Amino acid sequence: MAEVKLTQLDKSYDGGKTFVLKNINLHIEDGEFVAFVGPSGCGKSTLLRMICGLEEITDGLLELDGEHSNDMPPNERRVGMVFQSYALYPHMTVRENMEFGLKLAKANKAEINRRVDEAARILQLEKLLDRKPKAMSGGQRQRVAIGRSIVQEPRLFLFDEPLSNLDVSLRVQMRQELSRLHNKLKTTAIYVTHDQVEAMTLADRIVVLSPLADGAESNLEQVGAPLALYHNPCNLFVASFIGSPKMNFFRAAIVEPGQKETRIKLECGTELRVCNDTRNARAGDKVTLGIRPQDVLNHEEADGAENCITGTIETIERLGNESFIYLNHPDIHEAFIARVEDSLRRQPGAEFHVGVPAENCHLFDASGVAFSRTRSPVFD
Amino acid sequence: MMAMVQPRNLKYRVWAARIVMILLLCLVMFPFLMILSVSFRTGNFATGSLIPENPSLEHWAMVLGFEYTAADGSVVKPTFPVLTWLWNSLKVSFTTSALILMLSTTGAYAFARLRFRFKNHLLTSMMILQMFPAVLALVAFHAFFNKLGGVVPWLGLNTHSALVMSYLGGITMHIWLIKGYFESIDVALEESAYIDGATPWQAFRYILLPLSVPILAVVFVLSFIGVIGEYPIASVLLQGVDQLTLAVGMKQFLYAQNYLWGDFAAAAILTGMPITVVFLMAQRYLVNGLTAGGVKG
Repeated sequence: MAEVKLTQLDKSYDGGKTFVLKNINLHIEDGEFVAFVGPSGCGKSTLLRMICGLEEITDGLLELDGEHSNDMPPNERRVGMVFQSYALYPHMTVRENMEFGLKLAKANKAEINRRVDEAARILQLEKLLDRKPKAMSGGQRQRVAIGRSIVQEPRLFLFDEPLSNLDVSLRVQMRQELSRLHNKLKTTAIYVTHDQVEAMTLADRIVVLSPLADGAESNLEQVGAPLALYHNPCNLFVASFIGSPKMNFFRAAIVEPGQKETRIKLECGTELRVCNDTRNARAGDKVTLGIRPQDVLNHEEADGAENCITGTIETIERLGNESFIYLNHPDIHEAFIARVEDSLRRQPGAEFHVGVPAENCHLFDASGVAFSRTRSPVFD
Repeated sequence: MMAMVQPRNLKYRVWAARIVMILLLCLVMFPFLMILSVSFRTGNFATGSLIPENPSLEHWAMVLGFEYTAADGSVVKPTFPVLTWLWNSLKVSFTTSALILMLSTTGAYAFARLRFRFKNHLLTSMMILQMFPAVLALVAFHAFFNKLGGVVPWLGLNTHSALVMSYLGGITMHIWLIKGYFESIDVALEESAYIDGATPWQAFRYILLPLSVPILAVVFVLSFIGVIGEYPIASVLLQGVDQLTLAVGMKQFLYAQNYLWGDFAAAAILTGMPITVVFLMAQRYLVNGLTAGGVKG
């Protein structure tokens, strides 16, 4: 059981010329399940390795349970870690793998057996205890890796993309097992993943990291509950990272700023009404409009309806319960995707009208910072 | 059985391969059989038929230290302590190989896992230095141990410890070999040992070393073979007849006027025996796939 506090943490591999992580401030409460997410190269694994002591801290302060821990060697931090590659000891059986740490700590035999048997029971590994890792499947190996850290009864669990080597169905299953395990053990956990679905489903709080841009003050973008990040992303990066498929972004400009409602105009000329507080902006300011593919309306029939963006159809992904329509639009940043509930076949090249409800819109200023939403949905 | 489509003439190809292999085997075995034949041949002749016409045990009696009564009734006494030489060789080879193993594993660990300044320079300069044959430094070895013997008698000339110490200089190749093997082992294994509470030494001892057994066996065999057959340094450092190793001692059979090829051959086979035994013992450690299953490949 542990509290983790990071204060102005920096990481540089070349003595301060370039930084991988900069100015990371984070307070993880006892018993919390926190996920670090971000694209590859954002330093999330490095941050995790700094917390467990496998990577040196260039600058800043790491406190475990209020104790200054920057220079504590990993074997004294009492953390458990599950590696992406499992990192099981290949020359030892499952039982020996799980006993290893306890034997080093010179625990007595009865205690070792009790803990190993209990971990094996929780993770359903009883029948595999005498096997070597090479005789097991990926999911079983991952369970052993988790078991190996459970038996140590660490104060902090660290997971470094533990499920990314598993196939999809196993990943969903293991995700639920991890969730169950956390509810049972209530140990503080930090979970690194690039899969935002894993982060959304497992974590109490999500920490979004970005690859450090030139001159940026920090690469910690936002910290918050999963739904808070989903509904109120604080900037373009978080908005585009959380949610699948990605949010659609349009180049636009403010026509009439306001506290409750704002009128904006896409570059192509389409005028829209959005529910964002832009009282500090001026008419003519360049902004980015964001709308999630799931938040749009199918206005196929109602040509010329209010708050409507028209694009031409490129391709359609029909998934049975829903379809994603990929559209072309002159003002779109990357891709324009609309979710519809039918499975109709549509002609590529045809026009398609997408309704954008004003209360579902996100608005970002020229530097990418979000204008707050005035009518965002209720969530707990 | 592999479920693979095989061409129809596979049988002929298998036979062709077998014939080539048998020919190759003959080529390799021929020198050995010749030496064996010389060692059982009456008199000291390097040439003759492969199966001795008058087989005799005189040379073997000589090297194993027995008196031999020849057919004409004359008794030949063994002239040299060949078994002592064999014992010396074994002693030096085993000690050297064991020490080389200790030094090169720890050295390789430093080069493979630790970060320190001038690491690469050190590695390449060691490599370049090792490229010069040790023979070039013979005089240096002699002078060095001569002086050292004045201070530390047991490390002076004509001692086995001096010989072992001079051999320990030649571990660069072994360091490179082991370093390459260490680098093929995922560092995450040791990292997870640290997380499990292991000190760096414990991670090295309980995780890295057990996984490196095949390369350790290779290094042991290689250094054993190298040392047991080494001549130049041993011939300079060792002087007393009782201190000689087999490789140096054997030279005593080859006088300028009289080459005792028969005794030489018997001693040569004696030298080969420990190598064979060491190799057979090491073979069970030369297994593949020791690290399989540890990490997702």
